[in-house]
Amino acid sequence: MLRFEKIILALVLIFVAIQFIQPAYNRSGQVLPADFLTLYKPPENVTAILQNACYDCHSNNTVYPWYSKIQPMAWMMGKHISEGKEELNFSDFGSYTSRRQISKLKSIANQVKDEEMPLTSYKWMHKKANLSKEEKALIIDWMQHKADSLSTDN
Amino acid sequence: MKIIAICVVILGASLAACNSNKQQAPAAVTIENKKDTVSPGNDLKSSASATIKPVSTFPQKEILNGYLQLKNALANDNSKEAATAGNAIVSVLAKVDTLSLSQSQQKVYADLQDDAREHAEHIGANPGKLDHQREHFEMLSKDVNDLIKNFGNGGQTLYRDFCPMANDGKGASWISEVKEIKNPYMGKKMATCGSVKETFK
Repeated sequence: MLRFEKIILALVLIFVAIQFIQPAYNRSGQVLPADFLTLYKPPENVTAILQNACYDCHSNNTVYPWYSKIQPMAWMMGKHISEGKEELNFSDFGSYTSRRQISKLKSIANQVKDEEMPLTSYKWMHKKANLSKEEKALIIDWMQHKADSLSTDN
Repeated sequence: MKIIAICVVILGASLAACNSNKQQAPAAVTIENKKDTVSPGNDLKSSASATIKPVSTFPQKEILNGYLQLKNALANDNSKEAATAGNAIVSVLAKVDTLSLSQSQQKVYADLQDDAREHAEHIGANPGKLDHQREHFEMLSKDVNDLIKNFGNGGQTLYRDFCPMANDGKGASWISEVKEIKNPYMGKKMATCGSVKETFK
């Protein structure tokens, strides 16, 4: 029994120790001119969905929930955010070439249509990211139209 | 208490290991630099040969081969082979020496490269997800079409085909090396949907 207690104590100590190792916060506080919303000025309902369901992992400004300060959750979130921004960063959308912007718009529509995004684990904790059928249709439609209008411009 | 001490040491060591990995890269670079200064003769030769043949260094044929292999895999509903072809395209694109291109070619390629690489990466990383691979193939086909217009057909007759039913009824193009239609979006389900829209001779 003594041995068992020692193991528990060790785990508790490790848990406490890792609380001191926090990843850097993803909060620039700035809105760049290259931000998707500044660039394309989507209607309010589209903007709200993007901010509530996408921007936490796909922009430079995450709205952190209370449990984000508890390890190892903070590491998991940090990983999701860095991977998310690498694929698509709404804060820096204007820096993509126009060809890439069109691809990204199409991919956003595809990912929502295929139920790949938002991530299931994210939806557990963020009710607003659990998009209704209408909200999905709105996003898919708007993204595809935007992509089509940019394609014909060139 | 021993166990606690061991756990703390393991934790410390694993954290230290994360940091030390990143420091090795610069060391390798300095070794290479030294090698260059030892043999200046070789250096001159390689730069001279690079200026003689600026255009032919673009691996257009290899890119097209990778793409056509991908197209045929998708037409056969073979997701795994499509992923292999996608990865092959990624490694060919990584080899492109942009400095050997003319200025106008550099401009075209700069616009294309990140986009094409990203589509090929996604196709390579998603064996088993045919739908997802086809979504990226649709966008990659546009890139390859533009590549052909700027860098030629790599010495073989190519066709641009179009199927109005693909891409959720919005229609989609692809490039093929054979005149006969083999639809990479529909696969075996509807293999002959589409028609030739353009020929690159």
